Amino acid sequence: MRRLIAIIERDLRKFLRNPLVMVVSIVMPIIYLLILGNSFLGELKHLPVAIIDRDGGSFAERVIENLEAIERGPSTIATYRVSSEGEAMRGLKEGLFKAVVIIPQGFSKHLVKRGSAEVGLFVDNTDVVSANTLKTALLSALGSTAEGFIAVRERAEGVRVRTIEVHPKIDYDQTLIPGVVIMAIFLGALTTGVFNIVMDRFLGTDESLLLTPLTRTDIVGGLVISGLVITTVLALVVLVLSSLISGIYLWNTLSPSGFVGVVFIVMLSTLSLQGLLFIILGRADHPRVVGVLGGFLNVILFFPSGAVYPVESFPYLLRLFAWVNPETYSVHALKAVLFKGAGLGAIKGDILFLSVFALFTIAVAIATFKREL
Amino acid sequence: MEDVAAIETRSLVKRFGNIEALKGVDIRLERGEFFGLLGPNGAGKTTLIRILTTLLMPTSGEAWLYGYHVVKECARVRHLIGVVPQATTCDLDLTARENLDIYGRFYGLAKKERTEQIDYLLKMIGLEERSEDLVATYSGGMRRRLEVARALVHRPSLLILDEPTLGLDPQSRYMVWRLLKRLKDDYSLTILLTTHYMEEAEALCSQVAIIDHGKIIAVDTVEGLKKSVHERDKVELRLEAPAGVDPVTTVRTLEGVKDAGLKEGLLTVTVENSQRGLPAIFEALRKKDVKIQEVRTTHLTLEDVFIHYTGRPVRDEETRKVSFFIGAGVPRKWGR
Repeated sequence: MRRLIAIIERDLRKFLRNPLVMVVSIVMPIIYLLILGNSFLGELKHLPVAIIDRDGGSFAERVIENLEAIERGPSTIATYRVSSEGEAMRGLKEGLFKAVVIIPQGFSKHLVKRGSAEVGLFVDNTDVVSANTLKTALLSALGSTAEGFIAVRERAEGVRVRTIEVHPKIDYDQTLIPGVVIMAIFLGALTTGVFNIVMDRFLGTDESLLLTPLTRTDIVGGLVISGLVITTVLALVVLVLSSLISGIYLWNTLSPSGFVGVVFIVMLSTLSLQGLLFIILGRADHPRVVGVLGGFLNVILFFPSGAVYPVESFPYLLRLFAWVNPETYSVHALKAVLFKGAGLGAIKGDILFLSVFALFTIAVAIATFKREL
Repeated sequence: MEDVAAIETRSLVKRFGNIEALKGVDIRLERGEFFGLLGPNGAGKTTLIRILTTLLMPTSGEAWLYGYHVVKECARVRHLIGVVPQATTCDLDLTARENLDIYGRFYGLAKKERTEQIDYLLKMIGLEERSEDLVATYSGGMRRRLEVARALVHRPSLLILDEPTLGLDPQSRYMVWRLLKRLKDDYSLTILLTTHYMEEAEALCSQVAIIDHGKIIAVDTVEGLKKSVHERDKVELRLEAPAGVDPVTTVRTLEGVKDAGLKEGLLTVTVENSQRGLPAIFEALRKKDVKIQEVRTTHLTLEDVFIHYTGRPVRDEETRKVSFFIGAGVPRKWGR
């Protein structure tokens, strides 16, 4: 234990002697927030929408047909018939659905009698990109339902859609915060942990470590833990700063258990990425390798994580990749805790996946660490 | 266990791909010895050191340090040895004291023991005053002395140094030599050092092994090695001899003189030992009224011994060209 702590202390001391690294690690993710927040656009697909039909009438059928037509045509949405509202709303909270369409009882009757009727639309507005697309698609489906009717009845109001935002209103920039935090975690994990072993190897100082009675676990474990400390602090600073920039005051919105959840997710995400990077870069002997692979890994882990683009809209293979990508779970959990006020219970699946992933990758990293030159 | 050698190897072989860096090395190093491993760049010195210090696995053959097998009992071996690698391996971002303290903890030393030992070592290497400064601000010689101190933090039985004075200016080299001599004399540490500086081996080592092309060619004391070479000291004298006096016949009969020759007023005498031979030569020449204007003596050096055994001088650079073609990864392992 004394040896492990010595490795941690050595690493932390060295880190603190280079304050520039700290500043860069904080500033860079925030620049991402500003750039991505203003530049990312794309066409969305397969956004899951739950449909609850309380009416059962002919116009309700027509609304559903129109929605299914969108599903078959441009594939913006994927529809799911759900029988209970509770089930639908739970799904919305857990991220299973991006929106819930509720056709109330008497919808057809109202439409025939009064020429207008209301449909309830619940949109997961923590994901602004898909929320906007969904609104547009659903409005067009419902609008054409009315047109079909208007032709007969010669009435102009049509179907009004009342959008009920499930969560407090969130701006585009704010929805990127989990992505920015994940970016900070990635950068933190990349510039600590395994990077220090690569640098030691590059400078030749690893020789002095390998000459001592330090075990593989001491070396890998010590570097991972010091990296965990550094990265957690950095990521939390980035979280607070990026929230302030986007106008969220976390001390007002985040409950104590939510805060614990955030810290927990940040730590588990760090450990997962540290483990993964240790396996991939564990034998590199030049910082350039870290630079090249790091840049590559950052992109391929970040974009399919759901941080800027909903995972559901990916092509099949990419969705499979997202399924094993630890960042997907980090983003999902951070969104749930930060924007939906979810407690630890709602993110237990994410916690489980990240825990298993972290344990597995770190165990492999220790086992494959080369104890000789 | 008293007769267990500090180091013993049996037909050590190390291959890197097609290159055979060590071709069956057998050495035995007794406790308390100051042993020099002398050889040119690429001879296999660093490879041998790295196997002995558990950093590399031998391809075949075996090695023991104080009876512990370097592969099977590497953890025990690591506690026994203090190593000063060729490159600077201290953390430049840490102070001297931090370097020593963290290193001490790698060996599991308790705080009190560490503090005592570190204070003592800092004093010994003359870095007490600078101990709270970052190593990055140190000169090459200071860093090397710190490396030596760090290798001693856990009080090892065997100190191994790989080219400890490589790249140092003469003054810093002298300081490192003085430090090593003190360690040998005052603490009877067993020391193994590799070098390609002849004067270093001559100044420090009680035993010297000559290694070349991955093989040990000769092992003996410096004197023993010199004796094994059938060459002698040379004395050159510029003379002004009176008419009728032949300086060659005058000195040829003297004791210890093997050969003498005169050419354009320069008398060249080969003697067993120039220090003992010179007074007799002077005496004999003066008796014949020969005026001596200039004297130059050439001693037999380890360099001559090395040339005798290997057919080339020790600082032959041919191996550099070889390593150039091997690619980036190999020379580091291959070392010097």
